Amino acid sequence: MNKLYLLMAFFLASVIVLAIAAEAPIPPYIKIVLLAVALLLDIIGFSSRYYMYLIKPMLKFKKHIVLSKEDAYHLSSTADAVLRKEGDNFIATVFVSIPVYRSSTEMTDDEKLEFSRQVSRLVGISRDPVRFTTQVHVMNKDSYIQTLRDTISATENEQADLMLKNASPSEQERVKGKLAMLRNMLDSISKSMSFEMVSYASISATGSKEYEAVGAAQQKARELMAGIASTFGVSPSLITGDNILKFIEPEALIPFSTMTEQISKGIEEQVV
Amino acid sequence: MDEEGIMYLIFSVIVVVIASAMIPSFGGGIYTTIAGVLLALTLILILGMNWSDFIIVPAMTSLLGITFTPSRNYTINKKQNAVLKNVNGLYYATGYITANLFAYTFKEESTPEGDELKLAQAPETWERAVMSLQFPYKFHVLSSGMDVQKVRDELEGKRSFQEFQLSRAMQTGGNEMTIADLQRKVNMLQAKMDRISQGEKPIATLMYIETTAVGVTEKAAMDALETQVRALQIGLSSQDVQLTRIVGRELYTLFSYSFSIPTSFGDIAGMFDQQG
Repeated sequence: MNKLYLLMAFFLASVIVLAIAAEAPIPPYIKIVLLAVALLLDIIGFSSRYYMYLIKPMLKFKKHIVLSKEDAYHLSSTADAVLRKEGDNFIATVFVSIPVYRSSTEMTDDEKLEFSRQVSRLVGISRDPVRFTTQVHVMNKDSYIQTLRDTISATENEQADLMLKNASPSEQERVKGKLAMLRNMLDSISKSMSFEMVSYASISATGSKEYEAVGAAQQKARELMAGIASTFGVSPSLITGDNILKFIEPEALIPFSTMTEQISKGIEEQVV
Repeated sequence: MDEEGIMYLIFSVIVVVIASAMIPSFGGGIYTTIAGVLLALTLILILGMNWSDFIIVPAMTSLLGITFTPSRNYTINKKQNAVLKNVNGLYYATGYITANLFAYTFKEESTPEGDELKLAQAPETWERAVMSLQFPYKFHVLSSGMDVQKVRDELEGKRSFQEFQLSRAMQTGGNEMTIADLQRKVNMLQAKMDRISQGEKPIATLMYIETTAVGVTEKAAMDALETQVRALQIGLSSQDVQLTRIVGRELYTLFSYSFSIPTSFGDIAGMFDQQG
């Protein structure tokens, strides 16, 4: 409704400036300037339907427009919802896992048909807007890669110690072999990316207080979970804590260490 | 175009019409010509913004080199076709593609066996497409239940209009093609009404794909994103979906959907009428 008031305001302002331009006893070049102003107001009024968020900052003639300095979201204290503030209200979004792990390769033709029908039913499960997502992301090998790196570094130290102590050749050979094995493992693990596929649903609710919004979203999520469970015969669950980040942060789709290892490997190969 | 859009267009064009009527009072001679040119440009811009704002606004920001920060740590590039984030020196570029199903205008004429075949093949086609794509992406289906009575009333209204056109075409001896086309439309609307009567819930869906690419520089991330978008368009072309790159305000809206989705159907409907 506010948008329509804004349109009316621009329309009236435009008509008033136009009337002044046409009727006031002023030189013609000023009339033309006023006409241009009236038409500019008219264009702004028309564009205000979708672009009000851009018009105000653009009129300041800045190259970089900051629409918001705030974080895009924050996690609720219960760690099971993402919260955003919009005006005076909070919007809470919860994520529900859909643990369906079936492949068409192990289905008969009838099962494939039934599965497609289940998916169709799933999409129409709720009256409220629900988003169903299937996500493919790079598997997080960060901790594994880090453990390997730490072990390699410890083994290198061990090897240096053995050389200093003039340890037996067989002992030195054993550590050398272990180091080669660990380096090979790091090489092979970072040579290609492994992918993981997950499906989930997300649903939002508003409230004037954080807990109201979260409560309402959880209520909607419970209804959604019941629908998913009856459609697929699985046990969906609310996603909590850091696992939520996997669905909203771009860097969680391609984990940092996995990627840097991949990039350094690529550069190494190019140099060689 | 929805009612709100029509209202915006009418109000804006009225100003141009009023101004056109006032042209003689702007001074005559060269001033009349200038006023005429200004009015013509305004009209062109308004009509252009109405149908192609997703081309005009990104072209403008691209030309002026304007970038945006929709929220802390995120940047929308000047072409408005990607959202960028810098994390520990790595750039993550996210782009969006529409994936709306093509409207099956003649679907109601197809045999149920044909539909069943498509459904039975769907899981396999989907898996084949997924396996061919070696980068991260998300396939979103945003759905919302609609008011059964409202949808039924709308369908009835449309059917009555088509029936009226059909009877007029038959009375005036319209050509066979037109009559067959109108009959097809009436059958289609009737079939939709029958499905609602049988208990099927009308739903509205919005489907889109989101993909993220990474690079050591902004350009590297953007180049990788372009490659991924092209690969998605090729990989999913077998799915009978309309794959259009999303730019402009719809990109901004979809970015905000990453953190919260609309709570009513009206909020979704008003936002996506341009790019599929």
